[in-house]
Amino acid sequence: MSSHRGDVPERVSEHRRIAVLGGVYSNAEALAAVLADTRRRDAEAVFCLGDLGGFGAHPDRVFPLLREHDVRVVRGNYDEAVAAGAADCNCGYTDPRDNHYARLSYAYTVAHTSATNRAWLATLPGHRRARLGPHRVFMCHGSPRRINEFLWESTTPDGLLRRLLADHAADVLLCTHTGLKWRRALDGGAAHAVNVGAVGRPENDGTPDVWYALLTGGPELEVEFVSVAYDHEAAARALEAEGLPREFAETLRTGWWTTCLENLPARERARGRF
Amino acid sequence: MPAIPPGVADAPRAPFVTLSALWLVLTGTLCNLRCTHCLNASGPDEPWLAPLDGAVARRALTEAEALGVREVYFTGGEPFLHREILPLLETSLAMAATTVLTNGTVMTDALAGALAALAGASRYSLEIRVSLDAAEAEANDRVRGRGTWERALRTLRTLDARGLLPIVTATEIADGAGAYDRFRALLRGLGIAKPRVKILPVFPVGRAAGAPGVRLTDADLEGFDRTTLQCAETRVVAADGVYACPILAGLPGARLSDGALAAALGPAALYHEACATCHRTGATCRNA
Ligand SMILES: [Fe+2]
Repeated sequence: MSSHRGDVPERVSEHRRIAVLGGVYSNAEALAAVLADTRRRDAEAVFCLGDLGGFGAHPDRVFPLLREHDVRVVRGNYDEAVAAGAADCNCGYTDPRDNHYARLSYAYTVAHTSATNRAWLATLPGHRRARLGPHRVFMCHGSPRRINEFLWESTTPDGLLRRLLADHAADVLLCTHTGLKWRRALDGGAAHAVNVGAVGRPENDGTPDVWYALLTGGPELEVEFVSVAYDHEAAARALEAEGLPREFAETLRTGWWTTCLENLPARERARGRF
Repeated sequence: MPAIPPGVADAPRAPFVTLSALWLVLTGTLCNLRCTHCLNASGPDEPWLAPLDGAVARRALTEAEALGVREVYFTGGEPFLHREILPLLETSLAMAATTVLTNGTVMTDALAGALAALAGASRYSLEIRVSLDAAEAEANDRVRGRGTWERALRTLRTLDARGLLPIVTATEIADGAGAYDRFRALLRGLGIAKPRVKILPVFPVGRAAGAPGVRLTDADLEGFDRTTLQCAETRVVAADGVYACPILAGLPGARLSDGALAAALGPAALYHEACATCHRTGATCRNA
């Protein structure tokens, strides 16, 4: 809910260009490559919109990378669950097959995240604000109103985006949680919504590369999605070495999602292979 | 207006949080089938809940868009029996992702083609949910009527061939554990490469209503986050008013307003046995 409307004034950082990524999913190999890429592209600050764990083989290797690059992190539903030691990841699956993979992944992540890192996850803010030139940017994980709301491109109406932006006094909404990137300009470019996608998992397009977003302020907001190739083979082998489901490794190698497809709307599901 | 049943006034309430899902009970309870567990006892006879006037449906869509609605659902009865369903779908898809809940027995190739054209022209997803009650003919037809299994399967193939990726929606009435796998196997057997399945509990309402059963009390809901209930984010427009729940639409105890959505954005009474099922199972009638 509107937890940001407390009495304490919020810190709003100001930047010319920021890199924004989401959905790390314990994929340290991909995160390292993405962070190196953000340096080359002159990003003043790097933001991560949460979900550090899940899916991948190296939960604890993610944290030092985030610190080393001074990444400003927003809490995701996965982070919230891991920090609280919750019974499951709050991903909302009902299909037993998806639940099987989700539970397995979650138990592995909790078991491989140190107490120190879990305590750090508990300190993450639910959202962050920044200013890019004249643009007021609101960053969250799922949606501004619910940490695990899926904002898919094909199920997020303009009317909803306008309302969320108005309710949170912002011109630019940045989110993740779905793992699929998209962007939309509203009202002739006066407002924007960007789902930055995920860096921990390819985006169901048949290539192993992962994506993040680069935003540059100015009278007009510039939004660029950047794809990054990384050593996905090493990440896939690490999954196998840990005895994690072979379907996960297959996703990293092929770029096609193999599990947890039940929440995909028709349009997004049609684009994938499974 | 029928009398409010006893128990509604002192029932616990679910708060209204936001309008996330708008449901239109498009054909009221008019349906070509008469399933044994139908939630609102739909059938081919004179409907007890009248079909929705096209103008009323359009007004509700406009109001919902202004309220920032996330998605729209068309239900009934059998919504494809509504004369204006295609223009209404076009209006709805211009503003939000839209789902039609059908029994899959009135689909034609021409209709599937028209749906595919509407889906292709919209930036938002069109979802078609086709109801089945078992992954084999005999058990399904015992619930839904003779020949319905065969017709629904033909519809699933027709929609899939058009790229519409139908979602089979089933209740737990005839299948049980393993139902997801059985339906997935059925769909794969039809040549459907992306099988989609949603399973809902049976709610004690309509033709599945039994003897008066357990109802929720405020004590039951202590420590429970009521904003997670579907009715905290859902409003349902039917011919005789606005409701908080698609399952209870048409029932006098569940009515929140006689017409305008704006007048129906207050708390909802959790007075019905079906509310206890919803609370116990965490079910949502939405796609996900
Ligand atoms: Fe998430």
